[in-house]
Amino acid sequence: MFKHPRTRWLAALCAAAAALALAGCGSDDSKTTTASAATPPVVTTPKTIQSVRHVFVITLENENYATTFADTSKAPYLSKTLVSQGAHLQQYFGTTHVSLGNYIAMISGQAVTADTQMDCMVYKDFSLTGMGDHGQAIGTGCVYPASVKTLPDQLKVANLTWRGYMEDMGNDPSRESATCGHPTLNTTDGTQAAQAATAGGLPADQYATRHNPFMYFHSITDSADCATNVVNLNKLTDDLKSVATTPNFTFITPNLCNDGHDGGSASSTCVNGDAGGLVSADAFLQKWVPLIMASPAYQQDGLIIINFDESSYATQVLDTSTTPPSLTMTFSGNTCCNQQPGPNVPASSFPVRQSFPASVSHYPYDINLVTTNYGGDRTGAVLLSPFIKPGTVSTTPYNHYSMLKTLEDIFGIKEYLGYAAQEGLATFGTDIFTNL
Amino acid sequence: MTPIAYMKRTLAGALPIFALPIFALPICAMLMLALLAGCQPKQDAAKPDASVAPAPDATTLARLGRAMFFDVTLSASGRQSCASCHDPDHGYGPPNRLAVQLGGPHLDRQGRRATPGLAYTLNATPIWTHAQAASLTERLTETDNPPKGGLMWDGRFNSLHEQAGAPLLDPDEMANESRAAVVAKLAATAYAGDFRAAFGPDVFADVDRAFIAAMRALERFELDDPSFHRFDSKFDAYLDGKATLNAAELRGLRLFADPEKGNCAACHLMDRRADGSHPLFTDFQFAAFGVPRNPEIAANADPAYFDQGLCGPKRTDKADRVAYCGMFKTPTLRNTARRGAWFHNGRFHNLEDVVRFYVERDLKPARWYPSNDKGQPVLYDDLPLEARRYVDHVDPPFDRQAGARPALNDAEIRDVVAFLKTLDDGYAAPPNPTLSALSTIGTVTSMRSR
Repeated sequence: MFKHPRTRWLAALCAAAAALALAGCGSDDSKTTTASAATPPVVTTPKTIQSVRHVFVITLENENYATTFADTSKAPYLSKTLVSQGAHLQQYFGTTHVSLGNYIAMISGQAVTADTQMDCMVYKDFSLTGMGDHGQAIGTGCVYPASVKTLPDQLKVANLTWRGYMEDMGNDPSRESATCGHPTLNTTDGTQAAQAATAGGLPADQYATRHNPFMYFHSITDSADCATNVVNLNKLTDDLKSVATTPNFTFITPNLCNDGHDGGSASSTCVNGDAGGLVSADAFLQKWVPLIMASPAYQQDGLIIINFDESSYATQVLDTSTTPPSLTMTFSGNTCCNQQPGPNVPASSFPVRQSFPASVSHYPYDINLVTTNYGGDRTGAVLLSPFIKPGTVSTTPYNHYSMLKTLEDIFGIKEYLGYAAQEGLATFGTDIFTNL
Repeated sequence: MTPIAYMKRTLAGALPIFALPIFALPICAMLMLALLAGCQPKQDAAKPDASVAPAPDATTLARLGRAMFFDVTLSASGRQSCASCHDPDHGYGPPNRLAVQLGGPHLDRQGRRATPGLAYTLNATPIWTHAQAASLTERLTETDNPPKGGLMWDGRFNSLHEQAGAPLLDPDEMANESRAAVVAKLAATAYAGDFRAAFGPDVFADVDRAFIAAMRALERFELDDPSFHRFDSKFDAYLDGKATLNAAELRGLRLFADPEKGNCAACHLMDRRADGSHPLFTDFQFAAFGVPRNPEIAANADPAYFDQGLCGPKRTDKADRVAYCGMFKTPTLRNTARRGAWFHNGRFHNLEDVVRFYVERDLKPARWYPSNDKGQPVLYDDLPLEARRYVDHVDPPFDRQAGARPALNDAEIRDVVAFLKTLDDGYAAPPNPTLSALSTIGTVTSMRSR
């Protein structure tokens, strides 16, 4: 694994510390209005959430809060090191099960459809039948019409920049394009499962379209911006070199191994042989977070958000009185923040029960899945910024819609998209930005 | 072996310096200087440096690999080459209707599995993996990935240079006693001089080095030769708007793609790929279909013998994974109509029967399986009892319950077969075709709902 050269890493940390110290001096100065007679008075602008001008979102996969942030966590860099350096959002929630609906919520405020709730195995066009409250598109399918807007659309109008950095995208050009990589509309999504290196010499390709939210909006996929703004993660290093080349909004999707989706057990590793699960996710963060923190844009006015799309199951009960034994796994589907179910999958459809006999599951027991409610459960999140004091802890409930609303506030966007406009929804506040 | 290690091995033949660890680069630099110094006029300048093995370019490798592929003298019988079973005119598949091919020193020993076709898939085959979601629930609800990749029916080789040695040494195939026997035959071929020119004059003095070099050559031929990737079937012409399918072929295409009918395209992928290249008609995944036992295979006379694919006996490293038992890798369907025997055990000799088996297996089992002493059909009889529970009952058309109508009727089966025949290489467009009505064909699965 590539590592930042130790001397440069130290230099970057020193520079970051210096920047923080200077920022701290600036804050103090803003409170001290007395100017010396020998120098003209300095007009300072009070720091607000809009002092953040560069946001980096890194989204990981499928872990319970209790697992990720346990004392024995397999992700000690995230759960210990980064938590100690930034803000720990202990009550951050996903908005649905399974993956895709969460990613879509983060950039558009749209709730799930019957298809996005099942990760869109077929990359279907959205069939729009109407619009509900809070700008919710009513219908079925996956790829929203151009009339349904996203944060990137808002940023473009505001003359701000954005990019999605997708690890592995285009490693196998026959699987997906290296930019704006998505299946052909209305065909099976061939990126649902990771692909190993081939006998012909192609490297492994663990890109998953369903973890790339930008691919589900015609306003993006049909735009020329898509080819320049949705790119392979290997572009990020260059883009971080200067403030001018660093987008205002950066969304990073690790590959299926490095986001923790695949592997993670003794019996299953990733297709490239890496461990997967939280171990690989933590290694990914160890590589990329220091690079981002060393970048001029982050040091000037950056914010890193590390979140998870959704939680894993809450309880499991094994009943050995049956033959074969029966395992019941329950998702609480907990919500926070007065989250609404959306118009396409009503709350009345819960609880959802699914049964997988042993002959299907290939496990020595029948498995029953129960999803009690429509939420994505508690995952927690970690935020890092010069505007956040190390060791900050927030117990305020937040979810993906809160994050979207916060981003819109940061970038001075007046209109909130989808459920980001939900009445009373809290944004990340001074409980998090403790160093403004 | 880790994939990284594999990649290094793959590169080592063609790019020896780049594949070296970084600490070795100074050594390489010194070696290069030494080589350059060797260019200076010296009295013994013509003397080769035996410590440096030549690395022939890909073209040279492929040319040598081609010579070997068609060379019958490399077998113990002296009458069998790779091409004897992997005939280029049959998609590098078997040229006859035998369930399994004959080999050995006297060409009288029966293999135990049907010969797979080699065209199209070799360079795109992923190494064998079974990656699963870390979350058990996602394995169940989202992407319960089956095992995938690797070469051969059981995926036991990850590279062609590893695989190529197997048939040369298999007593039921080319039946050489050892690597040394292969190398000795190679040294006696008409192209041995070319081999020496490529790999060094003393290459045959080191058996392992010569054998590995030979396998690299076979690998390069199989990966690079255009005959393995012709894309000149009628279906390819259809995709490019240069041919029309007749009514039966078009009906067959739709039935092939329709999840409610054949659902064949769920595994035999038929959409253009992301870069516009034509489909390979396989997803390289493993599946257990419970194909009936084939009495044509002599080994099956032993009731205790079962070929269970991924869990053995040919493959040995997954023997403890009972859920893998009975799983075989999905083959490409390109050139399938040119075969005379289908499935891993060559059980069927008629393509309509193959399609019919898919749609009738559990609905009319007496038609496909022998009966026990009570007159009841013994389903999945080519698997031991404990493995039969893992046979696929989920993916359509295997999900239909007893009493249901088969997903395809006889006429529809014939249509699917008509479509499958459009996947044969070597389509010759009729003279002066009327193509004005054709529009460029985009994706095929978009036709499923029509």
